[in-house]
Amino acid sequence: MTRGVMSNRLARGSYYTTMTALAILFLFPLVWAGWASVKPTPGSGQPVGYGLGNFVKLMHYGQGLPTYLFNSIVIATLTVTGTVVVSTLGGYAFARFRFPGRDLLFLAILAILMVPYPTLLIPLYVLLGWLDLQNSLVGLALVLMMFQLPFATFIMRNSFEAIPRELDEAAMVDGATSFQVLTHILLHGVRAGLVTVGLFAFLASWSDFVVPLILISSADRFPLPVAVVNMQQNVFGSIDYAVLEAGVVVLAVPCILLFLILQRGYVRGFMSGSLRG
Amino acid sequence: MSTIWSRMRCVNALVVGCAALTVTLGLGLGCKSKPSAPSGNADDGTTITMWTRAATEAQSKLLADAYNASHKNKVELTVVPTDNYAQKIATAAGGKALPDLFAADVIFAPNYTSKHLFLDITARIDALPFKDALAPAHIKLGTYQGKKYAIPHTIDLSVIFWNKELYTKAGLDPEKGPTTLKELAEHARKIQALGGDINGTTEAGNCGGCGVFTFWPSVWAAGGDVMNADGTVATLDSKPVKDVLGIWRQLYADGVAQPGSKEEQGPTWVGRFQSGKVGVAPMPSTTLAMMDGAGLKVGVIPISGPDGGQSTFVGGDVLGISATSTKVEAAWNFMAWSLSDAAQVEVLAKHKDLIARTDLAENKYSAADPRVVISLKVLAQGKTPYALNFNQTFNDPQGPWLATLRGALFGPDLDQALTEGNAKVTASLAQK
Amino acid sequence: MVASNTSAPSTAPARARPRWAARRQQIGAAYAAPAAVIVGVFFLVPLVLVLWMSLHDWPLIGEPAFNLPANYAAIGRNPLFADAVAFTLKYTVIVTIVLFGSAFGLALGVQHHRRGVGLFRTAFFLPGAVGFATASLLFYGLLSRDLGPVNPILQALGILHRPVSWVGGSANLALGSSIGLVVWRFAGFNMLILLNGLQAIPDDLYEAARIDGAGRWQQFTAITLPLMRSTIALVLIVMITGSLLAFDQFYILTNGGPDNSTTSIVMVIVREAFTRFDLGSAAAVSVVVLAALIALNVLQLQILRRGDRHGDS
Repeated sequence: MTRGVMSNRLARGSYYTTMTALAILFLFPLVWAGWASVKPTPGSGQPVGYGLGNFVKLMHYGQGLPTYLFNSIVIATLTVTGTVVVSTLGGYAFARFRFPGRDLLFLAILAILMVPYPTLLIPLYVLLGWLDLQNSLVGLALVLMMFQLPFATFIMRNSFEAIPRELDEAAMVDGATSFQVLTHILLHGVRAGLVTVGLFAFLASWSDFVVPLILISSADRFPLPVAVVNMQQNVFGSIDYAVLEAGVVVLAVPCILLFLILQRGYVRGFMSGSLRG
Repeated sequence: MSTIWSRMRCVNALVVGCAALTVTLGLGLGCKSKPSAPSGNADDGTTITMWTRAATEAQSKLLADAYNASHKNKVELTVVPTDNYAQKIATAAGGKALPDLFAADVIFAPNYTSKHLFLDITARIDALPFKDALAPAHIKLGTYQGKKYAIPHTIDLSVIFWNKELYTKAGLDPEKGPTTLKELAEHARKIQALGGDINGTTEAGNCGGCGVFTFWPSVWAAGGDVMNADGTVATLDSKPVKDVLGIWRQLYADGVAQPGSKEEQGPTWVGRFQSGKVGVAPMPSTTLAMMDGAGLKVGVIPISGPDGGQSTFVGGDVLGISATSTKVEAAWNFMAWSLSDAAQVEVLAKHKDLIARTDLAENKYSAADPRVVISLKVLAQGKTPYALNFNQTFNDPQGPWLATLRGALFGPDLDQALTEGNAKVTASLAQK
Repeated sequence: MVASNTSAPSTAPARARPRWAARRQQIGAAYAAPAAVIVGVFFLVPLVLVLWMSLHDWPLIGEPAFNLPANYAAIGRNPLFADAVAFTLKYTVIVTIVLFGSAFGLALGVQHHRRGVGLFRTAFFLPGAVGFATASLLFYGLLSRDLGPVNPILQALGILHRPVSWVGGSANLALGSSIGLVVWRFAGFNMLILLNGLQAIPDDLYEAARIDGAGRWQQFTAITLPLMRSTIALVLIVMITGSLLAFDQFYILTNGGPDNSTTSIVMVIVREAFTRFDLGSAAAVSVVVLAALIALNVLQLQILRRGDRHGDS
């Protein structure tokens, strides 16, 4: 009995030691960036003493932090909303229906992952011109959404497949339409998938800088990452690390908050009864 | 007009199907832009778009702001990260959406002129009263097949910086920088002897562009060259190149250059000197203000050859009107103004930036900082090498020059590295 | 396995069946329509243009000239291409094993609800908040031999005796640094997907297995792995495809060096397109890469699906 308790304690102790060590390892670069962004660095926005000089520099760079932040939020909101809606409907279709071209469409969606995106951006830019969406946040969000689709559709398909079919079949027998089945019965069951898809769409649209840089041409429509990359670059590829580190902090803080809030979406046990992962 | 037309074609094509679509896309993209007719008044409240790269943003912004404050026209400046500049330009050119004006690293100018991205402005440049005083290297690189496409926009030189505090500590005269490359090596060795985390010098040994910028001027100062005038045949196996790289090779081998020099790709290159732990090294002249800001006492002297002479690599940006611009008159209005006495002296020189006109070198601001005068004097002896394939040969990390440079600096055999590398560099320069 | 029969419920009368099935097909197609439109307009149309470009000498401005098969023939002569393919394959094998192993390990570590687990998940996932290009630059600074904090810390801990040139010291160190960066940035991302799959496995299955006397390892191989098949398929597809198209970690962190030892295929494409401005040639390499990846993934999907074919629709 006592031995059981002992080994239990030991196991818990080693669990927490290992996990804490790993957590420190993963957090170290970010903590370093946070510290380095406020420490005195000669030649930076914070030359002497500890302080927020680099953040002040970031605040006033170019069109000003609020403009970039606003653009980033608009892009992220559009991308997340679009991705969640389209991939939920698509995932439902792939998991529950057979229709002509189903496998081909799925393969086409997956193929998005397989194209070297630097090449695809050139024709995409031309296409956006035809649609009158060049230099527009909506056009940018549509493209970012397209890049999210393979992952999002796949995850939503898996999530729907994990719910037993008996549930919707019973509801259909009771006269529910397929849309009612989706909204009233299944949506609750795929909550974890929705959170994952939304979160990943957010992170991708929040941190990417190459796609917005290529598709947007007016400085006042750039999102935050483009501004941060612009600020940190000096002659002959030399980098202003103090500003880079401040940028890392500004980009990471909203994600920390969001992720801590979304933890609730990952609570275990709401899908018990399902059989497939 | 043409936008709507191609959009309609696109809609049709979507209906008709894939085969038709490909053809239509080809046609849509292949449309030629019509040259615009000059408008009457060049300063009539037109909005001009302009792109520049992040590295030289400061100077472009100064000029654009000053122009906007004194003109009806408005220049809208968009800054693009330096590493992605070529990608942005290429994509925009493909989409027929280049800005009215765009700047380009002077060394890449032949890439853009030879691809016809700039508008021919030979007549306009030649009509300027001070056309002969424009920075010659910039004009030369903006010229393609006898036509002029670009004007000098910003200027950056490579010069030697030395850390006066470390010189004093090492018993060297803090007011006298090295006048020959051999002397630089000597100074560096004395500073290295201070020990601790202090190093004599630093190299950016894994950065092709930095090697061009810092090592080539010594070759030129010694009367040699790295390639022929047309930029088609390399001469890297010549004695001056061997002498210069041999000195830097020895400095690294003896541990006088920072050990991390071998892997430096550029990002922390300037930061190395800025940290105050390096005695003497070639650096970009535009970083002088940054060094001052970091509280360093920095001396400036031109880059020299092994036994003397002086030269510099004249870098910076050129500015041109894009081939697709519809606001040529307004765009030229800004360009011509940016070269005027008012812009050159009261905007650039006032902010300690180097100016693009040799006839204004002596002005009321340049006299204030003797270090700026040193830079200006060496400008006349400087060079900007011309080669159509410069970027893919010398700047690109996958180009043959970087491999050659690393072989020469860190490899087993200097002579062999340069002989073998010379053939590869020549092949790359000749590639179509 | 749940029966995934998509035809009509058994209660439906036999003669109504075909019409009902046709109706259901239409409904299914309607749900898939938004995704199909996005993919069609924003992916397939540009993709066709990439194909079209690969058949031409494609200038930045001006008339393209048909030149098939010059762009494809040039791939074979590209001095960087063969080495880049070999390196990319080697990198993909190593990084997939390391990244999958760490992500699965982390997912198992944070799957149960207990004190502090939310903080661990956040810690592992947080690097995903930093853009990959910025993360690459951050690592370049951290790992810098002369200026970064990593060497002094490892020396102080007694792990290293003298500073190491992580990023450019040797081909293996450069590869190792890139893999370290990728694991740091993406392990949490993949951990979350795997966690999603893990949590969809009902507790009662483990309970039943325990009653039958199955040990931890047996539970893992008999329950966890088989029931995670489609999640693992997703993770592997994203991981392998992503690694074969790896770019930023080499473009920024190692510059493809030292001495071209870490030059990936996409770096070759970017060099063709934006250093040499040969868009037709870049498109041709892209088409070849795309074809290879589609073939690989079709194969991979079939292998991964074979196991649960019998229950699948």
